[in-house]
Amino acid sequence: MLSSSLLVFFLNRLPMKYWWTEKTEWHAVASWTWDAHDETCGICRMAFDGCCPDCKLPGDDCPLIWGACNHAFHLHCILKWVNSQTPQAHCPMCRRDWQFKE
Amino acid sequence: MTGSSTSSRKVLSKIASNRLQKELVEWQVNPPSGFVHNVTDNLQRWVIEVYGAQGTIYANEKYQLQVDFPEHYPMEAPQVIFLQPAPLHPHIYSNGHICLDILYDSWSPAMTVSSVCMSIVSMLSSATVKERPEDNDRYVKNCKKSPKETRWWFHDDKV
Repeated sequence: MLSSSLLVFFLNRLPMKYWWTEKTEWHAVASWTWDAHDETCGICRMAFDGCCPDCKLPGDDCPLIWGACNHAFHLHCILKWVNSQTPQAHCPMCRRDWQFKE
Repeated sequence: MTGSSTSSRKVLSKIASNRLQKELVEWQVNPPSGFVHNVTDNLQRWVIEVYGAQGTIYANEKYQLQVDFPEHYPMEAPQVIFLQPAPLHPHIYSNGHICLDILYDSWSPAMTVSSVCMSIVSMLSSATVKERPEDNDRYVKNCKKSPKETRWWFHDDKV
């Protein structure tokens, strides 16, 4: 699912003349968005439909991840936080013990 | 005193400088009330004026906070100290070090300079007497340059 959405992401960025020569109307093939309550990652403050500052393109390489507490972050961002905390990291938003949602 | 620890002088990581630029823009659009940030081209050190809130014992007083960001901000807390003269407060040492848990053990990467400022003004506003911490002289004599190297013992959440 994500690889096709990545394709749409690129198609949407191509100038129209390259993929439609005559038609003037626009047909959406698909669109996607992350189902997250906030629109930005609470750690890096970048939008969830973009990627974390260490990545270049949204999509497969920079997924969102949810905690058991239902707070979402870029996987890369929360890993940086969790790996810097010993022995137990807390959710940056609610301070509950951080567990990845099953 | 400059109060900068060695770690805070390393160049900012990409995520740190990216986030600080966002925080700077957000601050300019929506600055926390009672604070003025004198913006310089140094993203890694912010000097912020703090105005005591009206109706508190610090009303009409002005202090300065110095905020130094470490290389791995926001995974690591910023170093926050008061420049001289530091306000007389039961949790603020005469060298400007602040005993406030969110600056050390209770830091979370979801916090921002702005939310730290709110905590500090709230800490100031709830004080009823202007006095130094009981162990001020002993602490100031023995502490490291950076308060982040102190092993803080948080025991009073009333002030």
